[in-house]
Amino acid sequence: MFKTHHNHIDILVLIAVLTLMLLSLGIVYSASASYAQARLGDSERVLISHAVKVSLGILGMFIAMQIDYHRLQRLTKFSVIVTVGFLMITLILGGETKGVTRWLRFSNLGFQPSEFAKYALLFHLCALIATKGELIQDFKKGFLPMMFWIGFVTMLVMLQPNFSMGAMIFLLSMVMVFLGRARLSHITLAAVALIPVLIAYMLSADYRRERVMTFLSGGSPAKSNYQLWQGILAFGNGGMFGVGPGESKQREFFLPESYSDFVFSIVGEEYGFIGTMFFMLLFLLIMYRGFRIAKYAGDPFGRNLAIAITSAVTLYALINAGVTLGIFPTTGLPMPFVSYGGSSMVFSACAIGVLLNISSQTDLYPRARQIEVLGSIQPSEATVGKVY
Amino acid sequence: MSISSTSRTRLRLLQIAILILFGVVIARLVQIQILDSQKYREIAQRQYQAKIVLPAIRGSIYDRNGIVIASNSMIVSLAADPMLASEDVRSIANTFSKIFGKPKQYYLQKLHSDSRFVWLERKVNGNFLRKINVKHIEGLVVLQEPKRLYYHEQLAGQLIGCTDIDNKGIAGVELAFDAQLRGKDGYVVFQRDGLGRARPSVDYPRQDPINGHGIVLTIDLNLQAIAEKELKKGIEKNKAEGGIVILLQPKTGEVLALAQYPSINSNDFGDYNLADQKLRAVTDLFEPGSLFKIVTASAALEHDMVTLQKEFFAENGVYVVSAAGGKGRKITDMHKYGWLTFQEAMEVSSNIVMAKVSDLIGSERFYRMSRNYGFGVATNVGFPGEVKGVLKKPVEWSGTTLNSLSFGYEVGVTPIQIAVAYAAVANNGMLMKPYIFAREQAAMGQTVWEAQPEKIRNVISESTAQTLKGLFEGVVERGTGAPAKIPGVRIAGKTGTSRKYIEGRYETGTYTASFVGFFPVEDPQIVCLVMMDNPRGDNYTGGTTSAPVFRAIAEQLLNYIHLFKPIAPMAHVSNNSIPERDLPPKNVHRYRITEEKKARAFEAHSIPDVRGYSVRRAITVLTVGKFQPIVNGSGTVVSQIPTAGQPATEGMKITLVCQPKAVSTLTAR
Repeated sequence: MFKTHHNHIDILVLIAVLTLMLLSLGIVYSASASYAQARLGDSERVLISHAVKVSLGILGMFIAMQIDYHRLQRLTKFSVIVTVGFLMITLILGGETKGVTRWLRFSNLGFQPSEFAKYALLFHLCALIATKGELIQDFKKGFLPMMFWIGFVTMLVMLQPNFSMGAMIFLLSMVMVFLGRARLSHITLAAVALIPVLIAYMLSADYRRERVMTFLSGGSPAKSNYQLWQGILAFGNGGMFGVGPGESKQREFFLPESYSDFVFSIVGEEYGFIGTMFFMLLFLLIMYRGFRIAKYAGDPFGRNLAIAITSAVTLYALINAGVTLGIFPTTGLPMPFVSYGGSSMVFSACAIGVLLNISSQTDLYPRARQIEVLGSIQPSEATVGKVY
Repeated sequence: MSISSTSRTRLRLLQIAILILFGVVIARLVQIQILDSQKYREIAQRQYQAKIVLPAIRGSIYDRNGIVIASNSMIVSLAADPMLASEDVRSIANTFSKIFGKPKQYYLQKLHSDSRFVWLERKVNGNFLRKINVKHIEGLVVLQEPKRLYYHEQLAGQLIGCTDIDNKGIAGVELAFDAQLRGKDGYVVFQRDGLGRARPSVDYPRQDPINGHGIVLTIDLNLQAIAEKELKKGIEKNKAEGGIVILLQPKTGEVLALAQYPSINSNDFGDYNLADQKLRAVTDLFEPGSLFKIVTASAALEHDMVTLQKEFFAENGVYVVSAAGGKGRKITDMHKYGWLTFQEAMEVSSNIVMAKVSDLIGSERFYRMSRNYGFGVATNVGFPGEVKGVLKKPVEWSGTTLNSLSFGYEVGVTPIQIAVAYAAVANNGMLMKPYIFAREQAAMGQTVWEAQPEKIRNVISESTAQTLKGLFEGVVERGTGAPAKIPGVRIAGKTGTSRKYIEGRYETGTYTASFVGFFPVEDPQIVCLVMMDNPRGDNYTGGTTSAPVFRAIAEQLLNYIHLFKPIAPMAHVSNNSIPERDLPPKNVHRYRITEEKKARAFEAHSIPDVRGYSVRRAITVLTVGKFQPIVNGSGTVVSQIPTAGQPATEGMKITLVCQPKAVSTLTAR
């Protein structure tokens, strides 16, 4: 019953993602050079590391593209269990960075299990929704099992503590549950039950409380949030056309995390409104094509996967951009394919690989279309494509 | 509602939500990057740039012979960038330890810091720099700031004044010529990063400071020293409270010395009390007493009211003048005299005779003569705070004012006015404007402005002047001024002893004792005024206290061979200031042009070394030295052909090879 991917992939998604990755090389280099020179003694250290991660991402994407996504359906539960295992190990053994344990290290290779957890959980939900069908409307048999995994994974991530990632995983999961036709009453119930937990969590750490209060107060970001203020100055300094590639001033130690979480600010500074709009349009393109792939996916699992992957990538991008622009409270979420950071890069790229695999199994891009259009010159080949 | 339609509706909702989010982000981008861009850009630019002031070096003050009175010393702070210095750490620590005497460990600890900037020594004497081979030590940062330094301690403290902490003149010459001395600060705009580190901005040109101009005074420090020394001796001998000596060149009006006791040291000017900080020769009024008889005698002789031989009855010491409708005024002489000729009356300083003479002169003529001598008018000698004195107009006079004026009461004058008046007599009746500001010169020694002697008016005819000279010579030969007499030298002078007017009445026993004179009478070169406040020793008269001081000064001046030379044409150049490019911004290595090299630039017979100079400056130096510069490139001179020190001829062509500043500052020569 498995279809082989004998059709073309969605080339625009591939181009959009590769464009983002390639542009990120220049931007991360520009944003990191001064920091790398001063702190690591080599201005290209971060660039090289980033290039390796981009290469790994592209490799992962092409590998994922070759794997029939249907084969993933049977692996999702196992992946979630592995994820939970990773997250627990991380909590116990993880490497600390700035007081939080988000990293799992094998010798000198490290990755953030939460990035993997995000896709593992989403994929599993996709599988559950696809197999349960109508059962999802049943609270005990459909809704609760999903909420169990969602709650469990989210809790583990938040305990790291990584609030923003946990919240994103929860949000994306609930989006899937919502799209999976769960009853609104169930979702509302889950949300209401979670609100006090979330508030308690938010206020449990000083830095989180401060960020939230800053955001809510709506006051000048300059005084309370240096990083955000510097990020906004970068956007403003870029103006319409930007200060030019490699000309960023904000990267000169004014803007912390200029090459990771706040890389979009450097895009805004160096390439201006033109540049930021171009990036937004690339993500918009990914979204448009992603949902189109979902629409034409051959089966519910593929459809769910396509939606999950598309939502994850675009929402991440939008929330990251929103954070740098002061629309959302400052959190440490990377911009997919652009920010420096291996886990996000590799897992997001792999997810896009899966999306591309799905696209190749739709009827959108048949290899034989050309022939079909031209008429039945070579009928033997025309049968290759599935034309109804 | 079918299952798939529910699903489709919910997907549509998700898509709309994401699109709204896109819309919000883009709207925010429009707001920040397009609408408010200018505002943020300005804020951002401000944090990228730092303007660092390059202080202009305050001009030096010289005496008439080119001796530096005030200049600048350098305070130096030394810092290092441990990262750049990493290879030299041991040798730096060794060098510093040897020079500053702190243990090596002290410096090693600092140099092993993770920071990119550590202070090694702060605010130390600039001379230490000579011992450190700055340009050969990688990562060493030298910051220099000028500090005003007065070389001659107690000499002419009130005259020179001082500067405040910002190097602005606040007293004396420093204040009077602040505009010329100050110069114009330059600046360099730095690009700054988020760690506060700065590097010179390429977008903004460095504005070099324009150093202040030098001021050459008419003061002769040697004469000043003599005057101060003798004044001090005289004051100590006569137990006076204070005193003033003024030396003037009568033919030009140049002030040669302005001594004041108690003296003060400009290096710690502020530590003295306010009364002592004033330059009393121009700020304080006193009643001149018999010194003012110069007006009486001038008016009487000029208007032919008297001859030297005309006799007056001196009333045996007491003369009561009855004023119309008022009470009388009792005029006394120090000694009782009967009949005196006018000449004798002057020599013994008879107030009674002068009062009688003044009646002959009349108010108008007396007043006009006083004004013509400059009383009641500021001399504009060039000092801040000069007062014009008090000389009432005849309409304001009471019945006895004229008589009082005839021997120097009811009038307030400054010491400088008295000196200037006697100088007019010495100068055959021509009143000269006194001045102390001889010349303003630019950093390279070129004259910017030069004072010219300024005639004010002919106060008296030359023949009257000659008569007066004889009259005053007689005062010294035979009269009250006898203690000023020096055998073999013709000296003219006049004594004055006035009761001090304190809190509304004349204090008996509190006197201002003064003597003013000039010599040699046949060709007067020096006018010297000596004044003492309240001598409380055995003597209190001008003749017995101040005249000996005059003599002591005059004796030494006669031996002072440079006395009659004009102001030296300056080849002399300040070498105590560091060139402006040696005030380095952080992290930029600069080297020091040694004084020898600078000085060499002005030797006419050899080619000056202009390497390291800015092109503009090099051209100035060469042009002044009558060379013909040929410029190759721009920025800073890195080499010159022919090289420095070679014999030169006038109009010789010197080729300068220049490079932009950024390059040359990093390549030590």
